[in-house]
Amino acid sequence: MNGYGIFVWSSFLLTFLVCAVVYYKTRKTLKKYEKDFAKEIEDLSVEQKKTVLETSKVASKIFSSYNKTI
Amino acid sequence: MFNVFYNSNIFAWIEKIISFINSIFFVLLIIGLSFALILSPPDYLQGDSVRIMYVHVPAAWIGLASFTCIAFLSISYFIFKIKNLILIIKSILPIGLMFTCIAIVTGSIWGQPTWGTFWAWDARITSMVILVLFYILLIASQKLILDEDKANKISSIIAVVGLINIPIIKYSVEWWNTLHQPASIKITGTSTIHSSMLMPLLLMFLVLILYCALIFLMKYKTEIIRIKKKNLKRL
Amino acid sequence: MLPKKVKKRASLLAIFLSISAISIFLILNALNKNILYFKSPSDIRSNQNIDFDKKIRVGGMVKKNTLKINNQEIRFIITDFKNEIRVSFQGTVPNLFAEGKGVVAEGKLQDKKFFIADRILAKHDENYMPPELKNLMRENAK
Repeated sequence: MNGYGIFVWSSFLLTFLVCAVVYYKTRKTLKKYEKDFAKEIEDLSVEQKKTVLETSKVASKIFSSYNKTI
Repeated sequence: MFNVFYNSNIFAWIEKIISFINSIFFVLLIIGLSFALILSPPDYLQGDSVRIMYVHVPAAWIGLASFTCIAFLSISYFIFKIKNLILIIKSILPIGLMFTCIAIVTGSIWGQPTWGTFWAWDARITSMVILVLFYILLIASQKLILDEDKANKISSIIAVVGLINIPIIKYSVEWWNTLHQPASIKITGTSTIHSSMLMPLLLMFLVLILYCALIFLMKYKTEIIRIKKKNLKRL
Repeated sequence: MLPKKVKKRASLLAIFLSISAISIFLILNALNKNILYFKSPSDIRSNQNIDFDKKIRVGGMVKKNTLKINNQEIRFIITDFKNEIRVSFQGTVPNLFAEGKGVVAEGKLQDKKFFIADRILAKHDENYMPPELKNLMRENAK
């Protein structure tokens, strides 16, 4: 790129590298939270589990999607 | 009426939007990159170094826009005390900090071949550094202050004070002598950037905005689960 | 319409905002001269007490047909189209440094009309276009 290559490539590479790292980290934290949350529901007593899954759409959703993946 | 704003409904939407963005993201990324790096013409004056603009300018826009969003959300939180707004603010914060830093670093890389220096303490660059400091202050106040109500109060005050910095950044290049050039794309009037270079710029902006949306949604989901987990403990 | 608490918070915020806006405005006003990254030749001409030992930056346009380069030094005139300053410089200049383009010179004033720079920065404008278009414009101007 007429002598500007190093500047152009380094700035593009840097940007996308940082983006990739942040994406990976955010995703990892999300997965960890989902897993922990599903586990916590699993550990509840039968009645509590039932009420939680019935009252909270979010909880039932995470719980079912997590159980599917195992 | 506020059905849409309930966490459980938002949650279902997040899933849909994430999978939609995932399906189109890489196609757009490849189109955007090929325009930015290969198909767009070099500048008459700066040659190929002008291509740095395609990451520098969108990153700076996103950094500024995120902070503006955070400030206005903080104001609404301060007045209406809607808890959900805090989750949104927390999810925007890392994106804003990251892109502001990217804008500064790529700007510095761009400065070397064009201006002849990596760094200049002119008004534009200094005010951007101050923006980074505000981001760090916000994140620190959310992380370090354990009392949640207090943390939210303090961070919303920081955000409101930081909002004053935004017009200063925007108009620094017009109010004072700076090394940084004035804005090429104007809110009113014609922009001084040729369409063959404006198109890739807007394309890259779209790609990065989609990336931001992806990160935001994942982070927001994490925050919702964090809240639900807390509720579970109270059972 | 709105609850009293909400109104109270809103007015508190409004007062807080206006006070901080005013104070920032005052601070900026006071700092105005220091915020300038460089001085224009007119600024220097109108300034009464210049410290000749202090490093300053002078900026403007490189006046057309005044750039002289020999193997020892580079000489040119910085102009803001009202006043001018002669500049002498030894060293390398950025790629974008050229006649008719923006420049910022860092160094010391010898007198109000002569400046010895030890660093030259190029300041480009906000116009971006492909080279073919620029050539076309040049031909149209002829």
